Amino acid sequence: MKPVDFDYEQAKSVDEAITLLTQSADALILAGGQTLGPMLNLRLVQPELLVDITRIDELVRVEASTTHVTIGACVSHAAVEDRRIADLGHDFLARVAGGIGYRAVRNRGTLGGSVANADPAADWVSCFAALDAEILVSGQSGQRIVKIDDFLVGAMETTIGTGELINGIRMPRLGASVRCGYAKISRKPGEFADAIAAIVHDPDRGCCRVVVGATDGLPLLLDNDALGLGPAVALPAVLDPGPVRDHLAWHMPVPDLYRLNVQCAVLQRALADAHAFPS
Amino acid sequence: MSTHGVGASVLRKEDDRYLRGRGEFVGDIQLAGTRHVAFLRSPVAHGYLRNASIPNECRQQVFVADDLAAVAPIRAHSTLPGFKSSDQPVLASGKVRHVGELIAMCVADTRAEAEDIVDAIGVEIEELPVLSDMLAAREAGAPLVHEEWGDNVFLTTDFEQDLDPIIARAAASVTRTIRTARQSMSPLEGRGVLARWDSRLEQLVVYTSTQQPHIVRTGLSECLGIEHARIRVVAPDVGGGFGYKGILLPEEICLAWAAIKLGHPLKWLEDRRENLIASSNCREHHYTITVYGDANGKLLAIDAEATVDAGAYSSYPFSACLEAAQVVSILPGVYDLEGYRCRTYAVATNKPPILPYRGVARCGVCTALELMVDALARELAIEPTEVRFQSLIGPEQMPFNNITSKHFDSGDYPESLRQVIDTIDLDSIRSRQQRGEADGRRIGIGFAMYTEQGAHGTTVYANWGIPMVPGHEQCTARLTPDGGLELRIGAHSHGQGLETTLAQVAHEVLGIPLEQTRLIHGDTAITPYSTGTWGSRSMVMSGGAVACACDELARRVLRIGANLLQCPVEAVRLKDGAVQGAAGSIQLAEISRTWYLKPQELDTEADPAGLEVTAGYKPEQDSGTFSYATHAAVIAVDPLTGEIELLDYVIAEDGGVLVNPMIVDGQILGGLAQGIGTALFEEMVYSTDGQPQASTLSEYLLPGPTEVPDAQIIHLETPSPYTRFGVKGIGEGGCIAPPAAITNAINDALRAIGVELSVLPVTPRRIVEAVAAASDSSLGKVTT
Amino acid sequence: MRPFEVTVNGRLHRAAVSPRTSLADFLRDDIGLTGTHLGCEHGICGACTVLINGQISRSCITYAVTCAGATVETIEGLDDDPLMGELRRTFSEEHALQCGYCTPGMLITARDVLSRHTDLTQAQIRREMSGNLCRCTGYRGIVRAIARVAAQPLVSGPQQNTVGLGPAPGPGACETRSTPEAIGTQGLATPSPTTPVPGGLPSGITVSVRDVRESDGWVTIEQVFTLPHPRTTVWPLLSDLEKTCAALPGIELDGPPVDGAVSGKASIKLGPIRPVFAFSGTYAVDDRSYSSTIEGVGTDRRSHSRAKARIQNRLFDLDEENTRVEVEIAYTIAGPLAQFGRSGFVRNLVGRLATTFAHNVNAALSGESGSAAALAQSQGWWKKWLAPLCRLIAAFNRRRPRQGD
Repeated sequence: MKPVDFDYEQAKSVDEAITLLTQSADALILAGGQTLGPMLNLRLVQPELLVDITRIDELVRVEASTTHVTIGACVSHAAVEDRRIADLGHDFLARVAGGIGYRAVRNRGTLGGSVANADPAADWVSCFAALDAEILVSGQSGQRIVKIDDFLVGAMETTIGTGELINGIRMPRLGASVRCGYAKISRKPGEFADAIAAIVHDPDRGCCRVVVGATDGLPLLLDNDALGLGPAVALPAVLDPGPVRDHLAWHMPVPDLYRLNVQCAVLQRALADAHAFPS
Repeated sequence: MSTHGVGASVLRKEDDRYLRGRGEFVGDIQLAGTRHVAFLRSPVAHGYLRNASIPNECRQQVFVADDLAAVAPIRAHSTLPGFKSSDQPVLASGKVRHVGELIAMCVADTRAEAEDIVDAIGVEIEELPVLSDMLAAREAGAPLVHEEWGDNVFLTTDFEQDLDPIIARAAASVTRTIRTARQSMSPLEGRGVLARWDSRLEQLVVYTSTQQPHIVRTGLSECLGIEHARIRVVAPDVGGGFGYKGILLPEEICLAWAAIKLGHPLKWLEDRRENLIASSNCREHHYTITVYGDANGKLLAIDAEATVDAGAYSSYPFSACLEAAQVVSILPGVYDLEGYRCRTYAVATNKPPILPYRGVARCGVCTALELMVDALARELAIEPTEVRFQSLIGPEQMPFNNITSKHFDSGDYPESLRQVIDTIDLDSIRSRQQRGEADGRRIGIGFAMYTEQGAHGTTVYANWGIPMVPGHEQCTARLTPDGGLELRIGAHSHGQGLETTLAQVAHEVLGIPLEQTRLIHGDTAITPYSTGTWGSRSMVMSGGAVACACDELARRVLRIGANLLQCPVEAVRLKDGAVQGAAGSIQLAEISRTWYLKPQELDTEADPAGLEVTAGYKPEQDSGTFSYATHAAVIAVDPLTGEIELLDYVIAEDGGVLVNPMIVDGQILGGLAQGIGTALFEEMVYSTDGQPQASTLSEYLLPGPTEVPDAQIIHLETPSPYTRFGVKGIGEGGCIAPPAAITNAINDALRAIGVELSVLPVTPRRIVEAVAAASDSSLGKVTT
Repeated sequence: MRPFEVTVNGRLHRAAVSPRTSLADFLRDDIGLTGTHLGCEHGICGACTVLINGQISRSCITYAVTCAGATVETIEGLDDDPLMGELRRTFSEEHALQCGYCTPGMLITARDVLSRHTDLTQAQIRREMSGNLCRCTGYRGIVRAIARVAAQPLVSGPQQNTVGLGPAPGPGACETRSTPEAIGTQGLATPSPTTPVPGGLPSGITVSVRDVRESDGWVTIEQVFTLPHPRTTVWPLLSDLEKTCAALPGIELDGPPVDGAVSGKASIKLGPIRPVFAFSGTYAVDDRSYSSTIEGVGTDRRSHSRAKARIQNRLFDLDEENTRVEVEIAYTIAGPLAQFGRSGFVRNLVGRLATTFAHNVNAALSGESGSAAALAQSQGWWKKWLAPLCRLIAAFNRRRPRQGD
């Protein structure tokens, strides 16, 4: 189980990385390699060139302003878990990070890599969807900022183009009374989740986003009105199971009872988490 | 009990090297000039091999079936009536019969480059209809895995009895269909082979990750047509076996052949994908079973039909008969039955050969029968433990020949059940169930019992007539000039701690400190022949052999000691590592030194046999030891999500006299973890076209630390009447009962809502779907 | 081969490796440190765990060249580490190892857990150790051994390497680097406003899924869409193989069909997974039923995966302006690409074909340059249609009957 022969370059800057990426017809970005590594070893992925972006200072930066925190693409899950970076509010990112994979994976896996791979079961995909995060994309023609909803296309598909790379993720600073909740159901710790729910209820910013993830497609942003949710109303302790179930079922054209059940359950658990974690 | 002999929980002698990363596994051995092998494997499950296009630039590095024309296929016949043999070609020729079957061997300087060559080969296969399901394979008109057979059944076995008179007076009967999954043994180290030709000794040397080095040598000899004397097989440290490493692999033969042909060492290390999709398959059973009971809950009779998916080929040496033939003989379990009828089929399919996994057949049998015991109890509305008490073989009946003539050597089965009931506190669980859970989950308790036939002897295996029948197990014991003891055995230790426990046995006889005893194993050149480590036999068989060899050494030492002490041999005894007489004592080290280096001090009548002994051992009755246990699980299940939490787990086990209780507990707990995998996680799913759906450990889920509870173990100790020290084999038991105990607990929890599960593993999805099917109040209809 | 420098167990190694060489293979094969074991080579089992700049890492999915300038420690290098010494003692006393294969990775992870936590409960230990698999012991001894060390006063804190924010060694570790800029001053000075993704929703064509089914290893997806063009306009296009294939993304024909026989390449893209199936097959057109069928068998030579596929189009006259197109895609895959539990992704991908196809056909009929290449740049619109499709297909995949049900 060894990869195909590939070339390898360590980019020293984002521009250099972009240049390298456009020089080879079959170049891939290597960050922490926790998703790409297995695919390479299994020869599911057979690139000509790997462009290592972990040596680029810019990509391990954290910029914190009064309104936003921007985290470089190569910041690791462990750095977030260890609270080595600024908190958005309610300790949300650190709480999510601590549940990703295993520590050895968190030490090398990166936020940018996770979003770029767009595995629907990836924790950050749902988390960023709930945060309404923006993905900063660098390319030959400069940088663009894409809302997470527009960035994700489907399982393993994003709108990132050839010669582009994720520069960072920009997230809003959350209000003082924000409540964030996160839960997932998986067969074992570290396994692909069967269901994920992420909740950001931020009255100060007039925002309430409740996301159900691990759908095998895109994260599902729940309709606040249909469920009586919203920034203006207090986050309920539990959701009325009936409407939630109907709502989730409606988005599941072919009935899948197990998936529906775990989605309903995980949503309630995320709510409980939002209330349980001290502000 | 001495502090270092039989019965002492001494720490393991072998630990230190592993704890420092200094174990030596096949992959760790480096020989100069080694080249590496990767295999082109069939991507399809069934088809005619039409053409392989090999790029010219690597033609010399690729070997196909034609190149190995002189190599005989692997054949594991059984003399059981009606058994149909399969020839497993070393490299596929003509036909491929399962995904992962070897088509070509590619040799290069590195494994990666060898895989590059694999990728460069084009292969044309004309696909044939695929048999991915054993029941379909049994049907008339099904496509044929082996055309010459006329059907797909390796073997049919029967136990016939007229049950009508018993059925007539039965108060209750229940019938169920029960299915266990195809699994992968998944030792953390895969198989691995390093082969070289030793031109000095004109000998093939094969380092291989095996439990049975001598059997591999015999298999290589047969397939390659080389005499045994020209083959040396070395099993170095082995990273877990569990039965998977008791099989002669086509890869071993390929590398051995190529090492001779090419003249340089060759290495192949099985990777995890190869392990999962091509080789380490096991366990797939299907049962249709009816049990009959009287009004008190006593089991009267079993009527069963069992099918085992044996895969495409009969593996060497255990053959495709082992699993199904054992099912017939052991299905009655721990119960005293009046009636029994069973037919089993070992069926060929387009899947990898089924191999003997720890708890061979017994795990499936225990699952089937113990689920039925609980089903009968529910039918009669009595405690499942009551059915067991009513039906168990009693201690007063021991030794007991059961309905299939299994000779249960000893034990108190009801007592193990009583102790588990007390420890787990059945009454408090029932009260808790009455109260209900605040979080909406449901609590359940489940029991399961089994016997574990271990150390099967000549009579047992001779009946099956497979290529390997165990006889006397041997040990060579040698005192060294400095008073140390070397023990050489043909079995292999790969986690069982034999380097420690056999030293304990020797200490029991000779009194030699453990640190002065070395176990040498895993090398055919320097150990006595043995069928190896399998079937919970090594402590009984190799332990007995070590004791016998040490007995003889003791006799010789006493004679020399008496001679040196100048007294009659009747006047001395061996104690604390010294020969002691009335006039004084002499240390074993001194005796040794005298024998080897100062023979002038011995008088002329000294026994010339010396201080090296090879002795053989067989228990007085060789039909096997029967350890047994009761397992009980308490679980909580969430009917909404199907999540299971193991709240408590208790085991009361009787392994006879335990040589090292710490190691026994380790075997039981390790088995428990594997049993939990069988119960809840592990499943090699195949698509209808025979494609394995788990090629990584993300799909094939192995239990981790969070999936295995901190179990309590209770030991009963009924010595075996037939073995040295009264030991019984216990290596497999831990994994036999957990699937039944846990599934019974889940069914107990969900009984009130009419749910009963009988397909392993019991996954959250299966639970949710069963709950929905029972309550019919779910969203939509779940088809499929 | 690529030269690089790495410090392993305190010793600087100047070595040259192929970039595809994993750190584990480098340690084991090139510098003889065989205490690091390979159990799965895909990052699950934990047997290969080592420290890179003090951070536990999977050496099987970390490539050696990426560790240039790093400090690596393996089990052999921790022989004299006091905390490891305590773990070795308690591992032996609690019988926390049997075959010993998982043990080095287990110990390195355990040491890391102890160095990062105080007051560990058994549940926490189990959770923290969940990335290391042991097939022998059932974990009780391992958990107890760690708990015993956790209960002792800390023997000696393991040295904490400087920890950056990214995977080690990160910026600055390689001596050939230019002086790094101060962190935080580079980057996005002024992000440009959100750029809408090019392309838009074309003509409001809705592709709906009618059925997804599986039998005999074949997955069949039936989809329907309506084109705002009369059948007499649509049929000439969809009865022409080359035009049809031009509308199917990733399909490249070797040439026009000869007596109904066709061959070509089908390039599939699922994230970084990009097999190319060289296929041959047949093309049949039935003018009476306005249907066309392409059937082919293909092999991706590099992965030895095989696919058989059938794409059938059938046109129905809705009215003078509109044509209903029924697209049935059926396929079966064998080989490595078929051997994953998450094959829903493949279904997901195949399901997208019809959506792209509908767009391209419509564009071609409307005289737009709706080539597949242009479409690849404009994925924004189709996700709206893709989302429900993904869900449907994913849902189908999950309820797919598994053998044994």
